[in-house]
Amino acid sequence: MSAKKAKLPEPAAIQPLSVDMRKLTRVGSRPGFFEYVGKLWAYRQFIFYDARARVQSGTRRDRLGSLWLLLNPIFNGLTYYLIFGVLLQTSKGIENFVGYLVVGIFLFQFSSGAITAGARSIRTGKAVVQAFNFPRAALPLGANIRELLSAVPLILGMLLIIVVFPPAETISWLWLLVIPAVFLQGIFNLGVGMILARVIARVHDVTHLLPFILRAWMYASAVFYSYERFITDPTLLQIMTLNPLFNVIDIVRKCVLYDTLPGWHSWTSLACVALGALVIGFFFFWKGEETYGRD
Amino acid sequence: MAAIDETFFLDGPPCVVIDRVKMTYKVESSDERSGAARGLKGRLRKALGRPSRVTVTALKELSLVVERGESVGIIGRNGSGKSTMMKLISGQTAPTEGGVYASSTPILLGVNAALVPELSGDQNVVLGCLAMGMSMEQIDEQFDSIVELSGLESAIYLPMKSYSSGMASRLRFAIAAAVNPEILLVDEALNTGDAQFSSRSKARMDELRAQAGCVFIVSHSLETIRDMCTRVIWLDKGELIMDGSPEETTDRYRDFSAHLSKGNNISATRIKDDARANLVATQVLERTSGRRMQGR
Repeated sequence: MSAKKAKLPEPAAIQPLSVDMRKLTRVGSRPGFFEYVGKLWAYRQFIFYDARARVQSGTRRDRLGSLWLLLNPIFNGLTYYLIFGVLLQTSKGIENFVGYLVVGIFLFQFSSGAITAGARSIRTGKAVVQAFNFPRAALPLGANIRELLSAVPLILGMLLIIVVFPPAETISWLWLLVIPAVFLQGIFNLGVGMILARVIARVHDVTHLLPFILRAWMYASAVFYSYERFITDPTLLQIMTLNPLFNVIDIVRKCVLYDTLPGWHSWTSLACVALGALVIGFFFFWKGEETYGRD
Repeated sequence: MAAIDETFFLDGPPCVVIDRVKMTYKVESSDERSGAARGLKGRLRKALGRPSRVTVTALKELSLVVERGESVGIIGRNGSGKSTMMKLISGQTAPTEGGVYASSTPILLGVNAALVPELSGDQNVVLGCLAMGMSMEQIDEQFDSIVELSGLESAIYLPMKSYSSGMASRLRFAIAAAVNPEILLVDEALNTGDAQFSSRSKARMDELRAQAGCVFIVSHSLETIRDMCTRVIWLDKGELIMDGSPEETTDRYRDFSAHLSKGNNISATRIKDDARANLVATQVLERTSGRRMQGR
């Protein structure tokens, strides 16, 4: 071959071929929104199996196994207790600071774990995504169910600490309200995780930002101080209380520590934000359905 | 090039229609002269220490209609777009332009995809089967035969990350072969594992092929292609070169490769150009009404 780049000859002819396409569907195409939800329901066994199997394998490498699910927030709590409670005295004016701190840290840990897992689910599940055709939302959904399952021992541990550590609280019927609160929190985690999953599938750099965002969020959620002490401006305080994670923590604290029924506005605010996040997250994730298999 | 005025009418729905599909990738290039490093975007990438990117065309515009009962072999040199085409048909990646239409979900029998390394082999079997849309009852029924086909025996209960690559690919094949797909895609699946496994997998492949509505096979072995296919297409650098009977196409391709390996590039190119010049390409016309029109 000489220097000239050989040009491939054109085909001899082009044969038009009329094809009945009615029974065909486009491969890998994104179904309509409600059809997608239906398809996801058909894959429920896959989602649950995935979640269960991974809960068991998550801590298999560690000698203490699943105990780390509990030890991790306990050590976290201890650190914050020493720094903020003992050294910086943010505990001033807070009744039962240990309980206050434990509720904040354990619940925030649940959200940060679930949001991170949901956000990374498409990246970590790339092999499965490329190998099989299934609705991709199964992955963030499975990751969140997994986190919800492992939150059960976490929350039981939290309640145990509250009962055992002085000033020990007594168990009341109000404690049952923890269940709907944590459930709404799980829904919120799922919605945020789905939004981030699509973003991270596209721009991987965001995974580096995620820990910083979560940390800032934790500092803003009154985990180891109370809003009343540091924020005097009432409008700012109102804005801060829109934070759904603060709402969850506040609701659980009221039920478990202070024996008061949380106000309806906390519940409605939490429910609206959680459901809103779910709908937006689901819709946003579904929009990108065809892109997740790409390298 | 002449357009044929007369339109062919295909009776009944086909299995797979590839309609004006085109695939380009943006990949990183370490070639400083590629020109991609120029311009603001390119300079910015360079400053961030990222390699410049170039666009690579993996598949040029291509249309193909495959009917029920056809076994299509895809041959070509490395980088000719064979695997890209399989990925597009399986829906693993979406084409840059055009669309692939199929009568049911195509199943790709590959051997390269990893499953979940932390989980044990048996958990991966269940997970993979569920991901293909099987129910728990179907999996219970098939579980033993999947394990048997994989030949893993008691190693099935160990985590996947402890498997050798051969073991993992055998399991992957066994899982994918558990369903009877209407549209089956095979990508070099025959050349994995030891002799014992390859005879077992070949038997299962034959079974699947017999039941499938249509089959696509990518292989470097021309014998395999010749034995198994009813139609062979030859791709080269993302272009369709030939589309014909297995004997004719493989003979021509073998001729081409023989000239190339002797370093005889000019005559090889002539063979290729000649084949291409005789190609009758397809143009897909979508028919939405069921009635047969005049003509034919």
